[in-house]
Amino acid sequence: MIKNVLLLVVGLSFAAEASAQQKPLDFAHQIAPILKRHCVECHGGDDAKGGFSLNTRELFLEDEMAAPGKPDESHFLELISSTDPEAQMPPKGKPRVPAEQITLLKAWIKAGMNWDAGFTFATKKYEPPLRPRRPELPPVVEGRANPVDRIVDAYFAKDSQTRPAAISDAAFLRRVHLDLVGLLPTAKELDEFLADRAPNKRAKMIGALLADELRYTEHWLTFWNDLLRNDYGGTGFITGGRKQVSGWLYQSLIDNKPYDQMVRELIAPPTPESRGYIDGIKWRGEVSAGQTIEIQFAQSVAQSFLGINMKCASCHDSFIDRWKLSEAYGLAAIYSSRPLDIHRCDKPTGETAQASWLFPELGQVDAKAGPAERLSQLAGLMTHPENGRFSRTIVNRLWAQLMGRGIVHPLDAMQTAPWNEDLLDYLAIHLQDNAYDLKSVLALLANSQAYQSEVESLSQDADVSGYVFAGPRAKRMTAEQFVDSLWQLTDSAPTSFDAPVSRGNVDPAEVAKTKLSAEWIWGESANGGVPAAGEQVAFYTTFKIDKPILSAGAIVTCDNEFALNVNAREMAKGTVWTQLGAVTLTTALRQGENSIVILGKNAGATPNLAGLYFEARINFADGESLTIKSDSSWQFASTFPDKLPVRRWKLEEMNWKPVTLVPAPDVWKKAVEPVGPEQLVRASRGSALMVRASLLQSDFLMRSLGRPNRDQIVSSRPNDLTTLEAIDLSNNATVAQALARGGQRLADQDWQSPDDLINHLFASTLTRLPGESEQTTVRQILSDHPTSEQIEDLLWALCMTPEFLLIR
Amino acid sequence: MNFEHDPTTPEHIVRRDFVKQLAAAGAASLLAGEPRSLSATDHAVKHPEATADSCILIWMGGGMAAPDTFDPKRYSPFESGLEVSSMLSTFPAIDTAVDNIKICEGLENIGQVMDRATLIRSAVQPDLGSILHSRHQYHWHTGYVPPQTVACPHLGAWMAKVLGPKNPVIPPFINIGQRLEGVGEKEELKAFTTAGFFGSEFGPMNLPFPEQASQSVQPPKGMTAGRFSNRHKLFKELVKSGPMKERASDYQQESMVRSLENAYRLLSSKDREAFDIELEPKASREIYDTGRFGRGCLLARRLVESGARFVEVTTEYVPFLHWDTHNSGHDTVARMHSEMDRPIAQLILDLEASGLLDRTLVIIASEFSRDALIEGKPGSNANDQATFKVDKITEKKHYGLHRHFTGGTSVVMFGGGVKKGFLYGKTADERPLIAVENPVSVTDLHATIMTAMGISPKTAYDIEGRPFYVTEDGKGKPVMDIFA
Repeated sequence: MIKNVLLLVVGLSFAAEASAQQKPLDFAHQIAPILKRHCVECHGGDDAKGGFSLNTRELFLEDEMAAPGKPDESHFLELISSTDPEAQMPPKGKPRVPAEQITLLKAWIKAGMNWDAGFTFATKKYEPPLRPRRPELPPVVEGRANPVDRIVDAYFAKDSQTRPAAISDAAFLRRVHLDLVGLLPTAKELDEFLADRAPNKRAKMIGALLADELRYTEHWLTFWNDLLRNDYGGTGFITGGRKQVSGWLYQSLIDNKPYDQMVRELIAPPTPESRGYIDGIKWRGEVSAGQTIEIQFAQSVAQSFLGINMKCASCHDSFIDRWKLSEAYGLAAIYSSRPLDIHRCDKPTGETAQASWLFPELGQVDAKAGPAERLSQLAGLMTHPENGRFSRTIVNRLWAQLMGRGIVHPLDAMQTAPWNEDLLDYLAIHLQDNAYDLKSVLALLANSQAYQSEVESLSQDADVSGYVFAGPRAKRMTAEQFVDSLWQLTDSAPTSFDAPVSRGNVDPAEVAKTKLSAEWIWGESANGGVPAAGEQVAFYTTFKIDKPILSAGAIVTCDNEFALNVNAREMAKGTVWTQLGAVTLTTALRQGENSIVILGKNAGATPNLAGLYFEARINFADGESLTIKSDSSWQFASTFPDKLPVRRWKLEEMNWKPVTLVPAPDVWKKAVEPVGPEQLVRASRGSALMVRASLLQSDFLMRSLGRPNRDQIVSSRPNDLTTLEAIDLSNNATVAQALARGGQRLADQDWQSPDDLINHLFASTLTRLPGESEQTTVRQILSDHPTSEQIEDLLWALCMTPEFLLIR
Repeated sequence: MNFEHDPTTPEHIVRRDFVKQLAAAGAASLLAGEPRSLSATDHAVKHPEATADSCILIWMGGGMAAPDTFDPKRYSPFESGLEVSSMLSTFPAIDTAVDNIKICEGLENIGQVMDRATLIRSAVQPDLGSILHSRHQYHWHTGYVPPQTVACPHLGAWMAKVLGPKNPVIPPFINIGQRLEGVGEKEELKAFTTAGFFGSEFGPMNLPFPEQASQSVQPPKGMTAGRFSNRHKLFKELVKSGPMKERASDYQQESMVRSLENAYRLLSSKDREAFDIELEPKASREIYDTGRFGRGCLLARRLVESGARFVEVTTEYVPFLHWDTHNSGHDTVARMHSEMDRPIAQLILDLEASGLLDRTLVIIASEFSRDALIEGKPGSNANDQATFKVDKITEKKHYGLHRHFTGGTSVVMFGGGVKKGFLYGKTADERPLIAVENPVSVTDLHATIMTAMGISPKTAYDIEGRPFYVTEDGKGKPVMDIFA
């Protein structure tokens, strides 16, 4: 409307300046056209060259560009009057502002710089609706009844766009595993899935993965840690200026806590466990006004939950969206326990912020209430059922996690128009209809044909003429997914982790009942003497299991190193004796005769104390259990074929002798006693509880692969692979060691033929069998009895292919 | 130097160019994650003509005391009962190759190359309330005071982003000598040792131990060259024979393969010999080898000779070690002198001999200076972090400059278009030793460095819809007086 008026008046000729000075100036007809003609191209609308915008009077006044009543102090008049070609405005090459118009502008400033209420040069922007909307679903086409497909199919039909092809079962299995639980399906899982004839097997798989609390939690932890800038170490922790929400977050994911409740607990923490988020990072020393913890609160809450960037507005009225300085401070004041002076560009404005939130249409925070009450009111308003921006923001993030790009893009610019409003609105309504159950949205998306279709092939100039949905986009594995995959493929995950969380459901009563009974043992060198540095000893025991095993696991450690072999399969290794190893043995043990061989090694430069500790628990279906532990019944050997895998040893022919019991010093007891019972219960009750990268502090490799520092909120990860990352993947010691270990392990196994091994490798890395030409390629480098090095190199090559690195 | 354009002319980003650039950047930005959806805007600013193609930053992490290095004041030798208030320098001044420039005893070799240097004695820093080394280092390295709402790129990342690699095989941003694990304040160090929102492509290649640098560009330990090459061949074969071959035009896939090719090229190329200081003739190695830092200087030289764009080499920041002299300041600085004197001087001589010095900007800098009495600057409300306070010195460990001083710091620059044998700025002769002539802020220092590298101080990239400038808010003004 305003725009139309402007267009009409632009062509008018201007009245003589003499008369203009007498009559009150008409802003819309006399002043705005001059500004429009000479200034707005660069300093209005979406442009703010030099950081200067005159879209509104407030913006015009910034940086002393204009001073009402004071033409001499209005810098812009100086610029438009200047004859210096380097300083003048408009810049050289553009027409100057005619003298009579300059006079008019001066008069306008002198008269107080009147401005029509609500007038702005800003171009009309898309303004996202606030309230939720229930779109009408288009009719079902070709039986594709998933509401997502009804909307997306209609979208395709409208522009006669071809739908992307459906993906195979194998491709689906790989994608859905990585997307929902962050792990590759194993070769066995692939076999089982392909063999399943159930017509609804994909839906069943989605349900099963989402129901796998532990794996789901430990995958999505990465997403939430990024979004809530939570980590187990990092900037700020050193001075106690930062607290984790890890324990609370982990449990919330395990419980699949409704999203609105999660957010309420973050904004208005009922316990200190979820408080770290709003308290932000307190830096030592002075920080700019735009980074106080109160302002951090405003920025974080707006970004995490509403996809609103308050960073601009926390310094000055935003040039890029509608948010104003006063609104950023209003949000900050909700949190603040002190009067908050508004600062514009780090200088106090003299005003004090009033606690208020961004959408008063839904209600307002009581500025007079105390901070805790205000936070609780904000929590209520944020999660208000009529706050559609809250639900749209999270469903857009979930869509992007699964589909590779948001319906609104970028994810933290939710003021941007979505490519399909109905789709976004429907997903948001779905979330609300399902009591903010995040898994219900993931299930809806993953079950759609839109999700289960081929990824879009991208050219270098994709999206140049705007985004069109043409299927999901491939995502690069995150640092955590890559590291988890590597650990899974090579069985080289660490045994301990940094996140302050309790993994898996351990029955505390069972832990309380568990009394460890193993003893520390060593060879005869410990019998009245001190074992030599570097001494290696093999320990051996056998036992019989006479009924079906329900589950089994063990704890083990050795001063200084051990390698545990169960039925000639290497199950665990440890080089840090203070870290008790825990290993699940459910599949390694069998009904009938079993053997355990543990290689122990002493370290040091001079003779020193050495000892091995092992205790296993085997649970049976009838509730009974059996304990196998290191004690005087075990045997040891000092000479053994240590170059060969244990499966090639002739155990019966070796020279076994009774072990020596070693009295445990306190340091040994300390390594075992406090954590042992819980670890043993966990190992023997749990399934394969591989430690996940999301539970560890970031390390060199993860940083290299794009795990952020989490000083700032991050809502998406890199999608490309840089040369520096490729260098690390090519020669990083951690990667190389894991691959070497994996190569060794696979070489130690009995394969019917090299093809058998090749099939296994392809299935476990790429979730498919090799094609003919791949088989040929690989056969050329593998000998008939593939060596560990050959397997290691093949593993590396497979893991470097884009097919592996991309979730597609 | 002759500028085609005055680099201080306001040149702002044309936002419509952002959009065009964003589109042209196409899949590159689109494939990148959110923080990477940047647009190249360097076309929108007029860059000054570069006077340097490479940059070596010699980083004296921990606070190098100017009065005990490049800005000697009245000398007070150690004696029991020495009044702290009268102690300005703990080393006597020595002559250098330049008549009007004196520096501290212990830096004789550097003194002999001061005729190739511009010495700025008037660099100043803000207090930031509490002087935390890592925070000031963050400011110095990124141009922005932390915390910031976006992850700020290190100045090496800016050079990598705007200028790209000089030799496509050598990573453009290499960081020598600083451990990021196992040292205090490691998280704070990591916060700025990064390309920030530019993404890891422009991030540092970290080489904390110069003598082990060659391992970073070698096949994994124990892998022969033959096996390494076969492994790569197998990878390429698998890419070629896999089902994704039909999607060969897929940009995302192509760029991944290209990165692995690049990595392989570096890891198997002749250029990687630059990383191996063992290949340096013994005589030369010995001149440099005053310790890890000296070896780092040698590595930096070899890398620049091979076409590195930006190399930082540091004496290493570890809380309470090296330049972070909270006690025994004098003795520690004497050791630092002997560690830095020969390698830095030799670096300059070697670069000169190979003809590279003219186009290589070498900078010696630190996050702030030190003083015996004043924390921050006069009148500062910065927390005094002195670990002891004495009026009279009775013990040798109290002899030295133990507080963080931000009012006047020395920066030395060699080569890369700066004047030779030139002194810029001045600090007071009596306490407080503040800059009394031509103070140079961190922002302007950045502008100067970037200008030498041919990067306009107003260069900006779009992040989260706002322009982010190479110098703070685009306000840096280069110190043009120091250019030849």
